[in-house]
Amino acid sequence: MSPHAVVATGIGAIGPWGGGVEGLARALAAGRPLGVEIDGEGRDDRASRLAALVPDVDLSRWLPPASARRLGRPSRWAVAAARIALEDAGLPSLDGARVAVILATSFGAVRFTENLVRQTLVEGPESAQPFYFSECVANAAAAQVALAVGARGANVTVTQREAGPLVALARGTSEVREGRADVALVGAADEMTPLLHRVLDRFGATARPTAHHDEAPRPFDVARNGMLAGEGAAVLVLEREADAVARGASRRVRVAGTAGAFDAEAAPSDWGEGDETMARGIARALARAGRSPAAIDRVVAGASGSRRGDRLEARALSRAWAGAPRPPVLVPKAVTGEYGGGQLAAAFLAALGVPFGPVAAMTAVEPGLDVGVHDGSPLPIPEAVLVGALAAGGAGAWAVLERA
Amino acid sequence: MPGADPGGTTGAKIVVTGLGAITAFGWGVAPLWEGLREGTTAVGPITRFDASLHRTRLAAEVPLALAPHGARRATWADRFAVAAAEEATRQAGLTPAACADAGVYFGSSTGGMLESEAYYATLIGPRARHARPSLLVAQQLNGPGDAVARSLGTSGPVESVSSACASGSMAIGAALRALRRGDVELAIAGGSDSLCQLTYAGFNALRSVDERACRPFRRDRAGLSIGEGAGVLVLESLAHARARGAFPIAVLAGEGEACDAHHMTAPHPEGIGASAAISQALADAETDAAEIDFVNAHGTGTPHNDLAEARAMHRVFGDRTGSIPVTSTKALLGHLLGSAGAVEAVATVLGLVRREVHPMPVAGEPDEAIGLRLVLGRPLALPRAIAALSTSLAFGGANAALVFRCAEAA
Repeated sequence: MSPHAVVATGIGAIGPWGGGVEGLARALAAGRPLGVEIDGEGRDDRASRLAALVPDVDLSRWLPPASARRLGRPSRWAVAAARIALEDAGLPSLDGARVAVILATSFGAVRFTENLVRQTLVEGPESAQPFYFSECVANAAAAQVALAVGARGANVTVTQREAGPLVALARGTSEVREGRADVALVGAADEMTPLLHRVLDRFGATARPTAHHDEAPRPFDVARNGMLAGEGAAVLVLEREADAVARGASRRVRVAGTAGAFDAEAAPSDWGEGDETMARGIARALARAGRSPAAIDRVVAGASGSRRGDRLEARALSRAWAGAPRPPVLVPKAVTGEYGGGQLAAAFLAALGVPFGPVAAMTAVEPGLDVGVHDGSPLPIPEAVLVGALAAGGAGAWAVLERA
Repeated sequence: MPGADPGGTTGAKIVVTGLGAITAFGWGVAPLWEGLREGTTAVGPITRFDASLHRTRLAAEVPLALAPHGARRATWADRFAVAAAEEATRQAGLTPAACADAGVYFGSSTGGMLESEAYYATLIGPRARHARPSLLVAQQLNGPGDAVARSLGTSGPVESVSSACASGSMAIGAALRALRRGDVELAIAGGSDSLCQLTYAGFNALRSVDERACRPFRRDRAGLSIGEGAGVLVLESLAHARARGAFPIAVLAGEGEACDAHHMTAPHPEGIGASAAISQALADAETDAAEIDFVNAHGTGTPHNDLAEARAMHRVFGDRTGSIPVTSTKALLGHLLGSAGAVEAVATVLGLVRREVHPMPVAGEPDEAIGLRLVLGRPLALPRAIAALSTSLAFGGANAALVFRCAEAA
């Protein structure tokens, strides 16, 4: 064990599957997308109708209802997820000054932002409520987590769209590895609203029903036509492996290497064709973990059903693996949808060997994309998984996770 | 990973080799320094949007008419960012090829919210079907950082940070760490934000905006003024700079980050998190508190922030506090939110290079409860200045501090 090694020892998540990660594990095993009908006043027949929305979950065990009322939904979920994660890690006590919080968000507290914009632009600026303003800043969730658990270390909010959760994981890992924190709470929080959903749909980002197929996210699939927009929060507890071993933490997933890259040819809010650049990012993550492609047992892809994003990811993986035997590729966003940290939580579970089922909505992988989407057959417990995510706009991030 | 200890850091000395700034004083570092030395506030009547219904009507606006041509479809936040990055990389003598693997670390609090407000305004009105989603394309908080990376053609990592008013400082801190780790050999770090109604109305709703130009650390201070713009630093290891014949302008010696965990919008009254961030930055910079020659304070001009920040400084600097020159760039340019830390880092480096601290306007009596030595009216010459501190205190109690040392220390 390297004296600097960092492990994740706990996980908490609130998502379309409900509270905790047991529901996520069941959903991943079932392989069915967690999309439900989202309000869509005035939308046409061809428009996307589904989103992976957090159901009514009783959060009172982790967040007193009086406190919850003052928070935006991403903050509520993040606080609950952080408390679940700390409980899961079994950390006896925290020295607040040594706890960092690094969360990612793509859109922040959208509902409050919409309310504030509506008040400002329609009802007049004097109608703007301070409550909405303070909770609609992007770092509200990270700040509320710090307040809830007394975390006085670095408090950083990463906003790198779909790559954000893995950037936050990398950032939190370095906080612990370089000795600035003993514990880092890392993850993501996002919410989906009818308005944001409508905007994403108008961009062509979300899956739509067709004459041949139901509306569903189909990562890497020939019939894919967009993602399932999701929401929720996921938080991992990171600490030094030596500390985790010393206190007898039973579940440990090592963050063995991380890397990022950028495709400068990508247009804003779109994916480019820089698979060579992305493959170099993958190679850096593997090199930092001291692993060859052949020593990766599973890939947890960021593929969401996006036409261009999935193609880029498949080509980057092909390039990175070159002639090496290809591991099965897991596609958790086919279940959780995009945003809200579902992929990060799923990657933690994948590294522990939690079984993933066949993806119900899949038809066939797009011809020419050399990617072996996992068919749900039983797999041995992995030693190492590569998790990756490519953001609209050009950024990519990867991490190698190992069962410690 | 070139030369890195897989667990720790290379310990390399990280230097600043390029600066860029877009502010209400103009498009570039030269007008910025000229305006800062002049010491007259750029806060004036808002022209960007109809402010007649807002409680206050002042801000420090970037002169858009002076914008360079190109990228007209991009948001102003992106254009500020790209222009500042172009200036900084030009000064650093970087060719596009040299930027090929650079990392970009960038802060923004609202991205292109100004443009997306137009979209929302249409979308929630009777002409919703006519709303143009293209207005939202570059609104994302990762917009400015991505735009910089795209304009430089880099394939390196890009990390966008949105920790409210500490975003810019945190982005620079992230770059410092990535360089020390050896993750990248060259980093473009900074922040960008443009004025928008959402932020303006929000701070007004909190009654945090002064009806006059802000007066940091003064007894009659009554809130902040809002500004806009971008600041960018080119950062690299000293060895990397020397190898390519670049001139180090200053040393980015250390950074610190700490959270108050106290309140969503109010700082801890004793500045606990701010003092922790400052202490960490000093330790990281291997710089004794006694070595700090001046402070570019967060200094927003709100009653609580300035007092909390002063208390943080008293805690760190002890008896020496009252003798350290302190200035606030916000007194002249307003609060640039997600890019405040970046532009103030540029101002701090300029102070070390020119060996003088820029002043704040004289207006207002100093607050004795603050107990700081304020630089007022005219620049203060510090011929022997070696080290300086820049602080950022944000919503959510997120604090960050940066320590710079003069290039001779390299």
